Amino acid sequence: MVLDSCVKEKDYIIDDVPEVQLLKALGIRKGVKFEVQTKLPLQGPVVIKIGNRSIAVDKSLARQIEVQEV
Amino acid sequence: MGCHTEKALPISSEDKIKILLMGNPNVGKSVIFSKLTGVHVDSSNYVGTTVDFTYGDVKHRNKTGMVIDVPGTYSLQASSEAERVATNFLEEGADAIICVLDATHLDRNLDLALSLREYPIPIVYALNLLDVAERQGIIIDVEKLEKRLKAPVIPTVAIKNKGLRKLLDTAFSLANETVEAFPKQTEEERWETIADIIGDVQRHEYKEPTFIEKLEYITLKPWPGIPIALLVLLLSLGVVVGGGKALRALILLPLVNNVITPFLTRMVGLVVPAGIFRNLLVGEFGILKIGIEWPFALILPYVLLFYLVFSFLEDSGYLPRIAVLADGALSKLGIQGGNIIPMMLGYGCAVPAILGTRAATTYKERIMVATLVSFAIPCASQSGAFFALLGDKSILALILVYLMSLITLFVVGLVMNKAIKGKGQPMLLEIPNLLLPDRTAFFKKLKLRMKHFLLDAEGPMLIGIVIAAVIAETGILNSFSTMIEPFVEGWLGLPKEASLSLLLGIIRRELAVLPLLELDLNLLQLLVGSVVALFYLPCLSVFGVLTKEFSLRTSLGIGIATTATAFLIAGIINQIGTFIWALVG
Repeated sequence: MVLDSCVKEKDYIIDDVPEVQLLKALGIRKGVKFEVQTKLPLQGPVVIKIGNRSIAVDKSLARQIEVQEV
Repeated sequence: MGCHTEKALPISSEDKIKILLMGNPNVGKSVIFSKLTGVHVDSSNYVGTTVDFTYGDVKHRNKTGMVIDVPGTYSLQASSEAERVATNFLEEGADAIICVLDATHLDRNLDLALSLREYPIPIVYALNLLDVAERQGIIIDVEKLEKRLKAPVIPTVAIKNKGLRKLLDTAFSLANETVEAFPKQTEEERWETIADIIGDVQRHEYKEPTFIEKLEYITLKPWPGIPIALLVLLLSLGVVVGGGKALRALILLPLVNNVITPFLTRMVGLVVPAGIFRNLLVGEFGILKIGIEWPFALILPYVLLFYLVFSFLEDSGYLPRIAVLADGALSKLGIQGGNIIPMMLGYGCAVPAILGTRAATTYKERIMVATLVSFAIPCASQSGAFFALLGDKSILALILVYLMSLITLFVVGLVMNKAIKGKGQPMLLEIPNLLLPDRTAFFKKLKLRMKHFLLDAEGPMLIGIVIAAVIAETGILNSFSTMIEPFVEGWLGLPKEASLSLLLGIIRRELAVLPLLELDLNLLQLLVGSVVALFYLPCLSVFGVLTKEFSLRTSLGIGIATTATAFLIAGIINQIGTFIWALVG
């Protein structure tokens, strides 16, 4: 499944990310655990939480990030 | 590379110890910078780039050093302009690096921390925001971290001045040492090392979420995040408009009108005989009369309060939340939410707003935000002028003017999104912690902003007022007014003297409004005049910055488009208004 279809209050692990430098720099990389904090309306970003960091990821980008439920 | 160094740094660093202050964005680097440095702080553009950096002197014992606040970056991959600048600074060499680490997000910070060791420069790490980390239940073993990083780690709480003296001590004592660079690691190797270090030095303890943490969460969710954002914006508006009005009415206007102007008039009266020269100085449009009243009593309070509120929101970490909340709506215009920050800054001044678009990565976003800001966002000076003109006479007209600005913003945005090819950069943003701004850093920034306003804005404004005084008192204005009378009176329905607004509006935006104060206008005329001023030419400084950042063609294009819109919309309002007036009357 992809990040965009994740729901709140479940834990996921990142499986595969597209080649975007900033994604890696922000620690969004394979094997990292996260949860969904909120989704913004009007096709807005998905906010995920890794550890105690909140990161807003654009919806189109979130569709390219493969994840797994744990 | 000698000349390269000179070019990159407009300051001489000879016989000073050169310290690079580095770190990820939003780790409190600027707070540390403002605490370490004295009053002599300046910012500069890194030659050949759009990146600005700040530098300042630091005195320690009897040695002088220079601290350079290198733009915050997550890594040294040179994938963005800020990262290239950071890499250049490292390659130019320095005596020491202070690398600021955010204790609440240590894992992400270690990427840069480890990359820095690959340069032969001694490093001291400042483990900052330790108090926040403790509140969140994060426990870091500093001694172990030192061993793993093979360099000193100083725990700091910058906003409370904790650990800063020791940080500086360590940096200065390291400056004499020579170190060898660590072997280069690939990205994958580095992240393995990071996972290993984190497992070794960091522990988590469960803590009940603090009030701030709860606030951080609810300000991000659509509900109640969006209503909170609207409330914050409304409150900010209230402080700027209400506070500005109070400052103006209670302190500045009485001071100027009852004390300063009468005093100057009397003094000039004693020295200068009645006639054209006395009129030039203290006549109706006198330089000493208008030249003090307009900039200081009518404009300055709003500019000051705007920057006060904006800097507060900026330093508290709240603005990125607005960007996240607004992303959906702005993406309908083809630009991502982050662009709302330069647009908000545009309500202060268009020049820093246009420079702020450099943070946008695509050309489409840059040109769109720059155009929108030049087109329909009134700057604080112009808003001050609108409040002075309409505030007492018709609140409805004032609201109409701002409503019209918002509608135009949206329409121009939609048109440009269709007309300009390309896409905005998708949003990818780490949201910083909410925190109470540090006082030292806050006032330093406010001071720098007000200094820039006074230097950049008051000069042209005074020149405009001198021109106004000369052409008004010598009769040149009269012949010009007669020349364009058919247009001003016939199409816009304004008295011919309003042509002064059109002339001065070229210089600064508020000067397109303020001359209307001296005329006796009815409600329709006030509205028409304000609409002309709202969309009329961006000021000379904006022209300059648009030409520099884009091209002469772009700035001329924007100028022609805004002026045409101004005359078209204002004329239509006048014609319809007059028609209705005739029907009713």
